[in-house]
Amino acid sequence: MNTDNTMNLQQNQQDTSATQAAAEVFTLRPLTDIHETTEGVTLYLDMPGVSKDALSIDIDQNVLSIRGSINLHTPEDLKPSHMELHSGVYERRFTLGDELGVENIEATLNQGELKLFIPRMEQHKPRKIEIKVV
Amino acid sequence: MISNMLRFPLSMFDDELENWFYPETHRLNRRARSAYPPVNIGVTDDKVDVYLFIPGMDPDALEVVIEKRLLSISGERQLKKQADETAQVRTERFDGAFKRVITLPEDVDADAVEAQYRDGVLHIRLAKPVVSQPRQIKVSAH
Repeated sequence: MNTDNTMNLQQNQQDTSATQAAAEVFTLRPLTDIHETTEGVTLYLDMPGVSKDALSIDIDQNVLSIRGSINLHTPEDLKPSHMELHSGVYERRFTLGDELGVENIEATLNQGELKLFIPRMEQHKPRKIEIKVV
Repeated sequence: MISNMLRFPLSMFDDELENWFYPETHRLNRRARSAYPPVNIGVTDDKVDVYLFIPGMDPDALEVVIEKRLLSISGERQLKKQADETAQVRTERFDGAFKRVITLPEDVDADAVEAQYRDGVLHIRLAKPVVSQPRQIKVSAH
């Protein structure tokens, strides 16, 4: 994780503390695709409405937590008339296998689409064993 | 599915267990998934604001049409095709063509529409016609 993300994480914890009570009850689970190759695992999470500053990615031991707050920049006097998304917070957790290298996760956010690449550690990549014929 | 699991060690578990503790969360997502993209609508004194949650799009590929009180949004989401050696462990995200037709809560002026795409949310601002905007009437004393 780079320094930039760590800063975002700290900032975000402060931001979300105000809405903590609501978030505990109503959080959205971002819809997720997961692809796995010999190189590692790639996750794609749909988190529309979340900007880079409102996203936090956190790893505690082998649990990956992703959390983001939606900011729609709504006018102050807006009265809701129809709502299909009732929460302003996305949250989802994944438990990672030991063979994944959590130190080198790459994260990119593009128009509410979060892509995370978690590389497989070198010693865990599948290897082809050559059989010598004597 | 089985072949995928054989090919790679399953190195990732979704913490599904939380659904047991937060059933509301799960239900909410399923409902939101039934129509794509989900939409929130709000009104102010002079505008109708429509928000569509539609991540990862090229704004040029979105078509927005307004006709009287009907607002329709259509487009196609094409998720990247994966190479053969890739195992798809989980696929939940929407992929393909979509169209949503929304009946607006109030009349709008079809000539005063703004649309902006930001962080994967399409925000459409429609102005109410002047006649339907609330006006304050001054009471004069005689």
